[in-house]
Amino acid sequence: MALDAAQAIAQGYNAIGAGLAVGLSGVGTGIGEMGIGAAAVGATAEDRGMFGLALLFTVLPETVVIFGLVIALLLIFV
Amino acid sequence: MFQPKPMTHLLIAASKEQMVSVVTELYRHQIFHITDFVDQGKEGYEGVKIGVPLEHAGKLSNDLLKIRSIENVFHTAPSTQSTVQIRPAETIRAAIDSELPKIDEEVSSLTVKRSNAESSIRECEQRINELKPFALVPLELDLYRGYECLTVFAGYIEQDIEISVPHEKYYQAEKDGNFIVVFVETKNAAEVEKQLSEAGFQTVTLPVESGTVQAAVDKYTVAKNEATKIFEDCNVKIVELKAKYADLLAACDEVLSCDVERAEVPLRFATTDEAFVIDGWIPTDEVEKVTAALNQATGERVYITVDDSNVEDTAIPVEFNNPSFAKPAELLMDLYAHPKYKEIDPTIILAIMFPLLFGLIVGDVGYGLIYLGLALLLRKLLVKMGDSGIKAFKIIISAVVSTIIFGLLYSEFFGMSLPWHAVLFARHLPIGAGMEHASPQVIELLVLSVIIGVIYISVGRFFGMINHYRMDHPGIHRTKAVLAEFGWNLILWAILVLILSVVDLNGYCQFPLPLPTLVGMPTVGGIIGAVMLIAGIVFVAIDNPLDLMELPTNTLSHMLSFCRLAAVGLSSVAIAMVVNFMAVDLFIAPALADLNIVGVLLIIVGVLILIFGHSLNLALGILGGAIQPIRLHYVEFFMKFYQGGGIIYKPFGLKRKFSEE
Repeated sequence: MALDAAQAIAQGYNAIGAGLAVGLSGVGTGIGEMGIGAAAVGATAEDRGMFGLALLFTVLPETVVIFGLVIALLLIFV
Repeated sequence: MFQPKPMTHLLIAASKEQMVSVVTELYRHQIFHITDFVDQGKEGYEGVKIGVPLEHAGKLSNDLLKIRSIENVFHTAPSTQSTVQIRPAETIRAAIDSELPKIDEEVSSLTVKRSNAESSIRECEQRINELKPFALVPLELDLYRGYECLTVFAGYIEQDIEISVPHEKYYQAEKDGNFIVVFVETKNAAEVEKQLSEAGFQTVTLPVESGTVQAAVDKYTVAKNEATKIFEDCNVKIVELKAKYADLLAACDEVLSCDVERAEVPLRFATTDEAFVIDGWIPTDEVEKVTAALNQATGERVYITVDDSNVEDTAIPVEFNNPSFAKPAELLMDLYAHPKYKEIDPTIILAIMFPLLFGLIVGDVGYGLIYLGLALLLRKLLVKMGDSGIKAFKIIISAVVSTIIFGLLYSEFFGMSLPWHAVLFARHLPIGAGMEHASPQVIELLVLSVIIGVIYISVGRFFGMINHYRMDHPGIHRTKAVLAEFGWNLILWAILVLILSVVDLNGYCQFPLPLPTLVGMPTVGGIIGAVMLIAGIVFVAIDNPLDLMELPTNTLSHMLSFCRLAAVGLSSVAIAMVVNFMAVDLFIAPALADLNIVGVLLIIVGVLILIFGHSLNLALGILGGAIQPIRLHYVEFFMKFYQGGGIIYKPFGLKRKFSEE
């Protein structure tokens, strides 16, 4: 199936956009979880009972990367 | 369901003569949660003190200490004993009296012997190490000492030095350090010592031995070997004793722990010179039974009061009250927080939804079967961990079953298609040969996720209203708090109405059910939406205007957060399909088409990629499939209504595994 040049470029940009959406939001989440994760491990080491709450805090920034993933999916499939 | 077991506050008072029978009776029932009495000194009731343990408590504790120390030597504990042989407590008590001293003596003589052997091994090793540097010097050991006018220096030095006074020197450069021995006249000793210390000299002790160095080393090696043999013999004997007595010790430990708990329980009572009072909680449906039993045991010489006064719900012990299928999820609840007494207990929702959401995310027959295999392998380990391990195993199994069922619906087997089309939602992506025309129902899955999110958030807010109504003190504040929760729901629904009145989602996707739309009547939808939005904002603002700052996160962000159900699942499918594409289409299929030696290598590489890629995806599946739904519950759901922090109900009396009264 031959695509004309304009279509191909549009698809390419779409893919780059999708990649950036996931990649950059992943970096953001990583930076967010960096500090929280370290503190959470420290808190759990002090008190095992903190585990649930620590897990909760650690995964809080994960929403950001999920939004990135959703945007990527929308870019590609809509 | 949704509520902990109803509890009744009981006060039991009797004269001290009845203490033993009351304690024994309460212990037998194992349902009475004792609230510890706190001596408030002058501020408390006059003459009321903390009780003293029953008279034989000291001996019991001593025996228990002995047993624990033996168990320590054996490296065993009651929790690790899996072969359970139940014996009557009386025979075990008899065994404690008759056999424990014998075992204790046997074990302690062995441990003494073993630790002597151990210390002599260590001493020999130290001597050998001390002798090692002298092996380099061609001198017998007697020659290092016994002089009247000669001083000997031996030790390590950074480098060889010239000594300015008459001397005899031996120097040997070695990897571990340069060893030097210097013989000088005693009158020059101070001068030499100064010169040596300037060169970084570290002295070593001169050995008190005779003969050659090798002979001395041999002597200590023989002694060390003998001690090692004794040490090992002791270990073998200890292992034999462990095999013989571990069961009995576990049973003794249990019986004594029970007896000690019972003997020391008066420390939790309030007592006067003649009487005592036990303050505690009991499940409401057990009150009559226990009252009758106590009356019978004491010949009606006990005074039991049901206290109806209003107690702070943080002081009431909380026992889950869930149907048996939901019990395992209590583990996940306690991981977050134990519910409070008057709070809605959402365990049952977690019990149903966690496996469903896990399946919705992972949804693959192949992965499900591997998880099943892993779970069955881990079973023994989990069962050993006790009650929580068994609960974890049950949660895993339900999640696995759900994964397999969703895999059948999605038609997925390690990312490949099963021989039928997806029944529910197609998740196959256009990756790999033969999949060019795959059209995953991404939008449908996202819509489904958001619908689940809307339901969760609405239910969460609804529970929040109920919790505020039940737990807050009656008054204007409570009304405001309840209305604010309702306001948040109004805002959420208003946003939905507004979106639905401008966009017809049916145009974007083929959802199994037609999605509601208000596109035909934008004015009506707009007005209704706007009214709901304003009403919602007003309700929230009345309670606390600052809360409106959370408007974007509390509504849109939490709702969209549920998109992870679709997104994580799709990424798992994508990884599986990419692994298959790399392994099969790039390595295995071309190699099979033209089979030769290189082809065989390619096939091996392909299989390795398959194994490695799918293992990675399996691990990611556990993380994504388990942590994401738990997080959705904890963050997006529980935070709307659930506080937790209740006291765990711990009835007086240990659960017995090895013994029976």
